[in-house]
Amino acid sequence: MSRNLKLALVVLAVAVLIGVISFRKLHRRMARLGETQTSETRARQEVLAPPITTPTDTTVKATIFWAAAPDQLAPVEVELPLSADPVQRSRQLVHALITGPSTPGQRTMPADAVLLGFYILPDGTAVADFSDALASETPSGIMSEQLAVNSLARTLENNVAVLRRLKILIHGQEVDTLAGNVDLTGFFDLHPPAQPAGAGAAATPPSAPGASATPPAPKATTSSVAPSSPAGSSGKASR
Amino acid sequence: MRTVLFVLTIFLVALVPICAGAAPSQQETTPSTSTTSASSKKPVIVLDPAHGGADPGARGESLLEKDVVLQMARTVRAELERQGYRVVMTRNEDSNLSYDDRAATANAYRDSIFITLHVSSTGQPGTARAYYEPMEAASSPTPGAATPNVTSPAPSAPALMAWDEAQQAHSDASRRLADAIQAHLAQLFPGSAGAGAPAAVRGLRSVAAPAAAIEIASVAVSKPESLTALAAPLATALVRGITAFRAVDPNGAK
Repeated sequence: MSRNLKLALVVLAVAVLIGVISFRKLHRRMARLGETQTSETRARQEVLAPPITTPTDTTVKATIFWAAAPDQLAPVEVELPLSADPVQRSRQLVHALITGPSTPGQRTMPADAVLLGFYILPDGTAVADFSDALASETPSGIMSEQLAVNSLARTLENNVAVLRRLKILIHGQEVDTLAGNVDLTGFFDLHPPAQPAGAGAAATPPSAPGASATPPAPKATTSSVAPSSPAGSSGKASR
Repeated sequence: MRTVLFVLTIFLVALVPICAGAAPSQQETTPSTSTTSASSKKPVIVLDPAHGGADPGARGESLLEKDVVLQMARTVRAELERQGYRVVMTRNEDSNLSYDDRAATANAYRDSIFITLHVSSTGQPGTARAYYEPMEAASSPTPGAATPNVTSPAPSAPALMAWDEAQQAHSDASRRLADAIQAHLAQLFPGSAGAGAPAAVRGLRSVAAPAAAIEIASVAVSKPESLTALAAPLATALVRGITAFRAVDPNGAK
């Protein structure tokens, strides 16, 4: 083996070594950056929408529906302190849905979206009023918008048994679509899984004292003339 | 005599622009209609390039959904016309139509199929999905809902149809249409699902015809050409899907 070839091999080996070391450092730096962004997002959320605690909070296993793929949801069991009051319980679940994803790929709703109000009517209609960020920061597209609606609907229906349908408002107003495609003028039907009687707070009947709060008469309730249109895999929407 | 001739000449000269003004312009009109030697039994295909005007739809680095879908719709229209279909486009320019305007174009025909074209923000690039709106009949009104007043027609009298519920009577046909199209999309767009999916697509609700929304992924591609190149397989899949839908259910478009 000639001297030049040996020299070239040594130089190559050193270059590969430096490359490997640099790559590992770069990888660590990227991971740190990701963690920083996640913690920044959480910090921002805590300012915008601080966690909700109530005297009746009990730590239970909640099922949250986050994204498993761009067009798929997967149930994830999370231990959460949840209230006995369905309204507060729903607010806590929405908060967890927005702030809880451990990876960006799991996210279904924008990190800056804030639940401004949540009401439950005596007939089990839930009215969720979100900040503008839900509409402006959800990626436009049937797939992404349907995923956001489905994750919300399925998370609520699996953890708050009194809910029968869901109405989504943006800043107190009914809007045509979430981000240009998915219809928000109707109601999304919810189908809570069957639960044994007296299975806890989530089964509290809607007429129970304190179980519901009445919103300022949502217009959509009275304009509902007929049945169903879709909410995708989570169920149907009705108008 | 010279005076008469002069008056006649003036009259004829004046008549020309009047006649020209009365004739419909063949240039870009909305909706633009293109008829070919289509068989009268074939349905009218109403192609709807989604968004437009001030509404760009999904935004990529160098692409806007409204532009991509318009370009794709033109390719699809040409292919459908080659197969003998009559095609109407809801828009043929960068115009901002309401959902009702788009539905009205489809609802103007007795026998039509409505296809709205979209490009997503997310999803695996190069895949495609057909969506339908699965409205249900009014037999089981939702709790607390006001009594349905539009969806239970008396058997002997033709019922009025609420504009916002127009898709309801065609929901089943729309599901079959979406499934038929998706089966062919899956062959030409590797990685795509095998069946259509339900979704509350706002643009389908008021369409009184079998209707499907087709969404291609996505505006996030690094090279715009890779997205526009999908127009040809999209056209092929739509032609095959619509043909398959018609073969199974020739009256489905009525």
